[in-house]
Amino acid sequence: MRTATSYSRPIPLLAIVLVALAVHGPLLMMQLPANSFDTNFHIFFASHYVHHWFNPWNEKWFAGFSQTTYPPLTHQWIALLSNVVGLQMGYMLVQLIGVLLLPVGVYRFAKIWVDERSASYAALGSIFLGALAFLVYQAGQLATVCSAALYLNALPYFYDWMMQGSGRALLKGVVVSLTAAAAHHVTLIFGVVFFAGPVLWIACLDAKRERASASVGGVLGRAVVFGALVSGGVAIVLLPYWITILQHPIRQMPIPHDSRNNYLLHSMTAINYFVIPYGALILALPFIFLRGGSPRLRPLLVGFWLAFIFGLGGTTPLPRWLLGRAFEILTFERFAFWATLLAMPIVGALAVELLDRFQARGAVGLSLAAVGTLGAALAWLAVNPYRSTGATDVQPVIAFLNRDGHDAYRYITLGFGSELAKVSTYTDAGSVDGDYNSARLLPEMTKYGSAQLTNSKFYGAAGMDSLRAMLKHANRYGLKYIFVHDPYYEPLLTFVGWRKIETFDNGQITAWSEDDIVPAHRINSDAMPAPWEGIMWGILPIGVSVLAIFLELLLPTVREVVVPVEVPARVQGHYVA
Amino acid sequence: MFALVLVTAAMCEAQKTNVPAMVTAGVDTNFPTTGSGKGTFYLSGPGVALKKEVELGTDVAVNGRDLQNAGAYEAIVCADTCHTSQFYVVAAKAVKLAFLVHPSRVPVAASDAVSGVALPFDKFENMVLTPQEVDFRLTAGSTSLLARSVSAQNGVAWFRTTSGKNAGKLQVVATLHDVVSTRAVQEVASDPCNLRIKGERTPKGIEVETDPVRDCSGNVLPDGTIVTFSLTGSNGKSTIDAPIKQGIARADIPAKGPQTISVASGVVMGNELHIGGQ
Amino acid sequence: MKFILPITLVVATVVLMGLGLMGYGQSRTALGIAEGSALPGLTPNPDTPDKALHNVLLELQRRNWDRAYADLSKTSGVDEQDFIERWRGMNGSLRSFSNLESFDTRPMHETSEEADYRVHLLWSTPVGPVQDVRDFHLTRVGNEWKVVWPKVTIPNVPAQVVPVNYLRWDLVTGTSGEEWGAHNIDAPHVRIISMNAVNTAEGTVIMGEAVNEDTVPAFVTVNATLVDGSGNTIDEESSFDKIDHVLLPKQVTPYRVDFPSTSLNKVKNVRMDIKATLVPASADPVIGVTNQKLETDAQGHAVLHGDLLNESGQTVNIPHVIASFYDNNGKVVWVSDGYVERALLPQGSEAFAVEIPKSVAGEVHNFHVVVNQYSLKS
Repeated sequence: MRTATSYSRPIPLLAIVLVALAVHGPLLMMQLPANSFDTNFHIFFASHYVHHWFNPWNEKWFAGFSQTTYPPLTHQWIALLSNVVGLQMGYMLVQLIGVLLLPVGVYRFAKIWVDERSASYAALGSIFLGALAFLVYQAGQLATVCSAALYLNALPYFYDWMMQGSGRALLKGVVVSLTAAAAHHVTLIFGVVFFAGPVLWIACLDAKRERASASVGGVLGRAVVFGALVSGGVAIVLLPYWITILQHPIRQMPIPHDSRNNYLLHSMTAINYFVIPYGALILALPFIFLRGGSPRLRPLLVGFWLAFIFGLGGTTPLPRWLLGRAFEILTFERFAFWATLLAMPIVGALAVELLDRFQARGAVGLSLAAVGTLGAALAWLAVNPYRSTGATDVQPVIAFLNRDGHDAYRYITLGFGSELAKVSTYTDAGSVDGDYNSARLLPEMTKYGSAQLTNSKFYGAAGMDSLRAMLKHANRYGLKYIFVHDPYYEPLLTFVGWRKIETFDNGQITAWSEDDIVPAHRINSDAMPAPWEGIMWGILPIGVSVLAIFLELLLPTVREVVVPVEVPARVQGHYVA
Repeated sequence: MFALVLVTAAMCEAQKTNVPAMVTAGVDTNFPTTGSGKGTFYLSGPGVALKKEVELGTDVAVNGRDLQNAGAYEAIVCADTCHTSQFYVVAAKAVKLAFLVHPSRVPVAASDAVSGVALPFDKFENMVLTPQEVDFRLTAGSTSLLARSVSAQNGVAWFRTTSGKNAGKLQVVATLHDVVSTRAVQEVASDPCNLRIKGERTPKGIEVETDPVRDCSGNVLPDGTIVTFSLTGSNGKSTIDAPIKQGIARADIPAKGPQTISVASGVVMGNELHIGGQ
Repeated sequence: MKFILPITLVVATVVLMGLGLMGYGQSRTALGIAEGSALPGLTPNPDTPDKALHNVLLELQRRNWDRAYADLSKTSGVDEQDFIERWRGMNGSLRSFSNLESFDTRPMHETSEEADYRVHLLWSTPVGPVQDVRDFHLTRVGNEWKVVWPKVTIPNVPAQVVPVNYLRWDLVTGTSGEEWGAHNIDAPHVRIISMNAVNTAEGTVIMGEAVNEDTVPAFVTVNATLVDGSGNTIDEESSFDKIDHVLLPKQVTPYRVDFPSTSLNKVKNVRMDIKATLVPASADPVIGVTNQKLETDAQGHAVLHGDLLNESGQTVNIPHVIASFYDNNGKVVWVSDGYVERALLPQGSEAFAVEIPKSVAGEVHNFHVVVNQYSLKS
């Protein structure tokens, strides 16, 4: 289809959003992310808010932990929606909202750097990003995706505020930024460097070229005001989080994660964390670097490069040098996602060039690249070596724990992977294990450098030492039941005196017990948030998100900045791929 | 409300009921009253609270169903004022014995190892506290180990005795009038006694086996009991924990050269055997 | 000007990747997940024996069997199947559950054509870390070094039928009407027959032996509580895996309870508690312990060596050896344990070794070994 009018026009934003809905809507309604690594974790957190909106102390993991260790916005929205559609579908809907907000954010962010037409292609391309599919369907990083989408939507307001001094932009920018922080703090912290830094830089350049309503000093002053308001706002909105993190900084032994590997020496890791997230963008890397050298795109290129290098994990020493100990706490797949988002404006410009130059062939090529990238990421779900080995029917485990007073004791699972969170969501019993590393305070878990007990074997000697330490202190924690879904653990349980008492799911899961365990009692912890913190936690994060929605609806954007863009004016045809 | 009635009853003395000092559980009983006109009769006791409109001066019939639980009762008659009387319901005839025997499994010839407690109860599950003669009889096979008559004190009769000498079922019977309660205790072999082994060299090593393993009363130790053989020779020491099968523990142990063989089962040691080299 | 920044960034990327390959910023990885191999051309050239051995062990660690086998010398004489099975383990043995976590190579002897290396291997296993020492021979082939993997001849034992016919105890639940009263069956009668407390560099250790005096199998756990002079509990621990939990009638087991970082000097009293439960059990398999000897190994450690002999018709997948050591008064002065990496096939034999601390090695006059076991079919 080729019309004279469609050549030079950008793709309407509504059409882009509809494409996102058409592509990701069915996948999410099919609940494709249900088996991802973190989906059950998010649902577990949400289930706590369903029952205890104003009490973030959750007794179901780690013999008690505070949910103020993780920003609550996405979980609280799932909790709200779950009253209508249930937890699982609530998760999918919140994820869908994040996915729909993302191309909008990319579109608006890209317009800072390139013309509207290129921005529209950037937004369209972002729907098919391998990194997005990886995070949504394989990793289940709901909060990262939602926060990034919100943050991208906040940055144009930041730019407008610096350029024009518009109070409306300041207000909306600050509130949307706070909403992004309420969804995921790490995105906001690193976003300052990778996203806000280049935007500030380009604003200064624009001011220098007298395209702003203020001098460079004025722009910097406005940036400071914006930064101060956001910092202050984040400090207040997430105050219980900061209190918790200051009280209990993460001092546990580093936990290995494959994204910290050197990808050049681990081919499978390279495929998982580089080839799949970048997909066809790998072919565009030369163009990204070359075109990124143009004066306007330089800040973006620097931001992209930094995120790109971080996204390579342990392939280069730079992340370790810059992050220090935090290198061993963070996982690096999210950096690749951010790098692809930062690359999209330049990729949008590349798409326009290809379409202008090759017309139908260009459109076909771009379409194949986009669909191939998304398709590869989805296919990888079924063949990657990190995938879970088939769905486990945990219902019998849940039923066992919920009957005959078994919930008076604590339990752990072994070999359940992310299904642990599913068990925890639907049982009344508490566990000493949990699928969230940052909240762990029990010495049996923090001393050894392994993550979840249920995945102990993947952490080698450290993991098994941690498990042994926990089993030694079973009586201390009222740990009476162990559910095993991996025969690897059976020798240890046999030798240390646990006995098999039941089998479920045709022997796929076995229940083990130890005699003479006293019922679990509450473990006192100084990490328990004060009641006022619970009230703040229940009001402010969700409150800023509601405020952001109202501001978006009631204060429409009036954008006056016209940015001259250095994109070749080879406008011969325009294809909507 | 009921408390208010009780308080009122305590304060007033106008009406009366003449109650028997003692009533047997489950027996229909009449409570004569004095005075005239209409009144209200209250009965309260363990698990019972009863209210009846009565004609004063006549007997109040109380069904035995309302007097099944042994213990202290109060009968209260109220008209303008209230009068309270107290009486006691005692257990009926013993028809049941709760009989506890310990342990369920006992080694033979263990002194004071078997004990039993019998508690008589009536048909309403009230413990019978009046002295009762309980006969205890312990028999192993056709041998009587104990026959003793014990008077229950405060509803409890008990015995303690030594276990028999033969492994097998020890039947423990407690009898009260025509009520018989039977329990069983498993008498098992005690520690091995005079544990002896014999051995001979085979092409593969040494075959060693015990004589039939018995305790000091001559009972064969049960199959599965562990007997430990130890061989000491120039190649070092070899041990094997062999279970008894049909009374004998047996092991084939690869060993060259002269060997000293010893045997033990639990904390009991047996004889030593020396076998020369080939 | 337009290309300065892109070129700078590309060069910086390449330099940083080069530094990464040189080992800067390396991180510990998870085990048991396919990580793949180094990209072509990035595996170190085996121009030294150390690099050659390192390459082979790295491929074995990553379970890239074909690549590891390809790196061996053609003179090795071992076929790939044997090579894989010996390394990976068979028959549900401990080795077959294990992952090589790390290794440390040390040259023993080296010439321009041949080299001998001693490698300390750290295995991650279901029952905890297991250390192993293994010697490798390497030879120079052209400009490269290759590992010579000797062929291990496994005796070809003819198939035989060994009946599994020893007693089994099963628990039968009775009804309340039965005179045997299955609802209040007494727990088996077990007893601690010796106990000794010693102070070690790692803390206090309580050890001794326990016996099942009953005629039924017992599931036994020994707990110890340390009490200070004021009667307050200092710590309490259990025998964990330093005991044979299932005791057949008249069977004796050593036990050891460790209290890491608690000095015996602070302890006034030790409360021992042995708990027993009636459990189903089988008298099979019967495992003999032959050729037991106290020796000093090449590294100067006092070690009790011996062989386990499976006399039954059932495969023992993971044997666990627990040894109590006595002084000349018959007092237990130490309890050691160790797991055997290879499965005990019916009528088969495997070597074992458990270490004795130097501090008590001189006191040891006698010893007693019991074998605990895990079988997949049990």
